Amino acid sequence: MAIKERKLTIARAMAEATAQEMRNDETVFVMGEDVGPLGGVFGNTRGLVDEFGPDRVRDTPISETAFMGAAVGAASDGMRPIVELMFVDFFGVCFDAIYNNMAKNAYFSGGNVKVPVVLMTSTGGGYSDGGQHSQCVYGTFAHLPGMKVVVPSNAYDAKGMMIAAIRDDNPVIFMYHKALQGMGWLGTEPGATVHVPEEEYVVEFGKAKTVREGSDVTIVSLGVGVHHSLKAAKQLEEKGISAEVVDLRTLVPLDRDHIFESVKKTGRLVVVDEDYQSFGVTGEIITSVVERDVSILKAPPKRIAYPDIPIPFSPVMEQWALPNPTKIVEACLKFNI
Amino acid sequence: MSVEVSIPADLWEGDSDAVITTWFVNDGTSVKAKQLLVEVMTEKIQHEIHSPGNGKITILKQVDEVVGKGDCIARVS
Repeated sequence: MAIKERKLTIARAMAEATAQEMRNDETVFVMGEDVGPLGGVFGNTRGLVDEFGPDRVRDTPISETAFMGAAVGAASDGMRPIVELMFVDFFGVCFDAIYNNMAKNAYFSGGNVKVPVVLMTSTGGGYSDGGQHSQCVYGTFAHLPGMKVVVPSNAYDAKGMMIAAIRDDNPVIFMYHKALQGMGWLGTEPGATVHVPEEEYVVEFGKAKTVREGSDVTIVSLGVGVHHSLKAAKQLEEKGISAEVVDLRTLVPLDRDHIFESVKKTGRLVVVDEDYQSFGVTGEIITSVVERDVSILKAPPKRIAYPDIPIPFSPVMEQWALPNPTKIVEACLKFNI
Repeated sequence: MSVEVSIPADLWEGDSDAVITTWFVNDGTSVKAKQLLVEVMTEKIQHEIHSPGNGKITILKQVDEVVGKGDCIARVS
């Protein structure tokens, strides 16, 4: 019997989730550069302006400073804006609105002012777009208190986390990786395009997922790194090493229990992240294990992250610097399992 | 009986080739008429192709393969 299924790209899953919530709640609206007739440079607002019109799907001028401030104001006044920062790299021009207002106003007001903004933003490189269009900066957003930070690795999670983000009364930073988005001109990891139910559902924040079971080593990652890790795990299996792969799904809240339990089982930890290495995600994941019980480790943890350099434009240099399955395999082989 | 899924001649202007970027169904699954099946891209623009009928799909051209107008890329039977 033929199986019924419907696969979506992450871009389409985000647009579908947004449309469903816009039908449910008239305070939800979308704002950003080219989110209207173009449907978003990365496709995640495709079709929305046709159904909801330009009042609820608003193209903005190229001024992140202005529209991020407008989003915080609208959210503080009872609306539920979804605002797009086209490339996360440009947070610099609007960060005061993000980390001094969006993230903190609920605290400053003693909980009287809620700021339910969803800030969706593209991350990641690999296609030679230079050092100001290719960063992840996951750690930067996760480091500053007051914002939830989510990083989907596939379309199923993207839809469920988008709905959860829109319904959340707190600011949520929804960081989607360009290589998973399903835009042909960027190249797409096929593993991100998966079956997605048509009905509404929520993927709860703070729940990591074991996407592959294993017993010798735990590989923890997020976003596109999950796909690198799964490919590495397959290669390791041929060499007799059983790797478990954990998809973090959200950085804030972080599922430290899930990470710890997996490492307790395998005794070894490799963290894979496309954000910069120092002072970042990899260090935090390792800390969440070692500060709890270092005795569960059979070997020092390893990390594969972006070297502490601005991202090169040269394709050869950029590919040298990026995490990939080969680097993960080599790191695991050094455990001498 | 089977129906061909082919690239419509009016999907984009001109005669440039396209590349298949995403199949939204797996080979061998059942599809419904008008369901979104596949995206093809030419000059950075993605175009959608929907199912011409109900039935089981056999995919003939895979992701990253280059296709032209009129090419048969799948069959629904």
